[in-house]
Amino acid sequence: MNSPEDTMLMERDLAALDAALSAGRADHDDEDARELQELSLCLRADAAQPDEDFERVMRVRMAAGFPRKQGSPRGRVAALRSRMPRTLPTMREWWPAAGLGATLMLVVAVVVVALPGGSGGGSGNDAGSASGGGSAASDAVTKLKAPVVTQSPTSAARESAKSTVDSAPPETPLEPLRIGGSRFSPGRANRRIERSASLELGAPADEMERLADQVNSVTARYGGFVLSSSVSSGKTDGSGGDFDLRIPATRLRPALRDLAALGSLHSQTQSGRDVTRPYVTVASRQEAARAERTGLLRRLAAAGTDQEAEAIRVRLDAVDRRIARLHSQLRGLRLSTEYATVLVTLAADDGSGAGGGSFGDAVNDAGDLLVGAAGIAVRVLALGVPLGLLGLGGWGAWSATRRRRRESALA
Amino acid sequence: MSVIAESAVTGPMPATAARERDTFASLYERTFPRVYAYVASLLRDRAAAEDVTAQAFERAYRRRGSYRPARGTPEAWLFGIARNAALDELRRRKRHAALAEDPEDAGLPVSEDHAEHALRREVVRSALAVLDPRERDLVALKFAGGLSNVEIARVLGTSESNAGTLLHRTVTKLRKACDELA
Repeated sequence: MNSPEDTMLMERDLAALDAALSAGRADHDDEDARELQELSLCLRADAAQPDEDFERVMRVRMAAGFPRKQGSPRGRVAALRSRMPRTLPTMREWWPAAGLGATLMLVVAVVVVALPGGSGGGSGNDAGSASGGGSAASDAVTKLKAPVVTQSPTSAARESAKSTVDSAPPETPLEPLRIGGSRFSPGRANRRIERSASLELGAPADEMERLADQVNSVTARYGGFVLSSSVSSGKTDGSGGDFDLRIPATRLRPALRDLAALGSLHSQTQSGRDVTRPYVTVASRQEAARAERTGLLRRLAAAGTDQEAEAIRVRLDAVDRRIARLHSQLRGLRLSTEYATVLVTLAADDGSGAGGGSFGDAVNDAGDLLVGAAGIAVRVLALGVPLGLLGLGGWGAWSATRRRRRESALA
Repeated sequence: MSVIAESAVTGPMPATAARERDTFASLYERTFPRVYAYVASLLRDRAAAEDVTAQAFERAYRRRGSYRPARGTPEAWLFGIARNAALDELRRRKRHAALAEDPEDAGLPVSEDHAEHALRREVVRSALAVLDPRERDLVALKFAGGLSNVEIARVLGTSESNAGTLLHRTVTKLRKACDELA
């Protein structure tokens, strides 16, 4: 640390140097300072002077705007740039444009995710949520229930269908299957889950036909089929439709996403039911019945009397019917788990405004949109801030390294 | 590429570009000899100094839109570019070449004091060898480049007081070396 006297002396010397360089003479009162002035004048006088030819060439190049050599890549780029109305903007001038671009990207991202059918981060739940967590609106109406104890109308219809298959009265009473309830079969890897979903889509009344076609098209695209449907179209209040679809459970999520994107999504529900236990039970029973049949056949072959053989045949018939019934049950369970039931209801939107609904609905929609936008903004920030910090750090490190390497030339 | 060809490609110059070019031309007129002197002091090679000076002015001309007054004077900005170009050249060559020929003072009148003056310059040149490269860089910025202490601080990326302290220390060291050699 310099003392005040040293600092004053230094300031005097520096001022004397500047004065000498400015005036071109050494005339300080103090001898030391005057010597420094003489030294500084000598150093300046010793500075190299540019060659006249070089000076002339440089002057010409300056007047021409330092042209690049013709044919070089940089020369071609310079020629292209020179045809532009003005020089390219500097980094500072880019900032407003960059800010506008970022805002636009954010708005587009919000709109894409907030629209029905848009996909977002989502919870990643294996039960197959159709829309991601980025959409507050769809999150609000998507409810995942697994397992469900009470039977929905969908599963009731499926049970009804199964009952028609199993219409033959059993010869011997079987223990009734318990689906759902508190009984379950833990510890199995390949669980059997019955999935069902329902969507209510809105569309203008005169677009019901088109919407129905699109529902059929989406269903076919994902390997599903329409079990039943009814559509009423026209510009009447009663326009609408119902679809009972079966879609492969493995493709349920994208199918629901596409279906939801067909119109304005009013509501969407999903449910799942674990039927592993009844499936295992039926399979075990079937196996036991087959073993019994094998034993009866063996006994029939060894039967000593006609009466004994006849009794065995009667039992064989009963076992065969039981096997057939169990096979049918097993097939039904397999189909119900491999294909998800999707009920789609089409409803005509009323014509009150483009967005539909009352002022309260509009406020709710706006709130949902804001929540969705906030979610997107948080996600963008979560990604952008670390990336920006990394980039900033990298740029700083690169700059420091470059400067250090340059300075090493003086080491 | 010839000047005529370049003009044919560029066509009429927009007003903003013309203004920027005029401003740069003014800067060029003020600084060209000083930039050359500074680069020559650093490189100790006349041919290399010409190349690097031309390169520095060309770079500065291309980047003239990036100059910000808040970061210092145009001279400081230009000398920063010239210094970077000179250091790149030094690093590339990995050696400090001696001046091919000493600068001549063709314009100076011959007088009786000339011999004494030349002798003193020789002493100063010898004393400069005592300085380390960073100190020679500082001396070159100040006396060959003619920069103020504020501008030197900008070029070196340090504070004005630190630049002044370094400069004073360097000049004092140089004077001591001159006294010892004389």
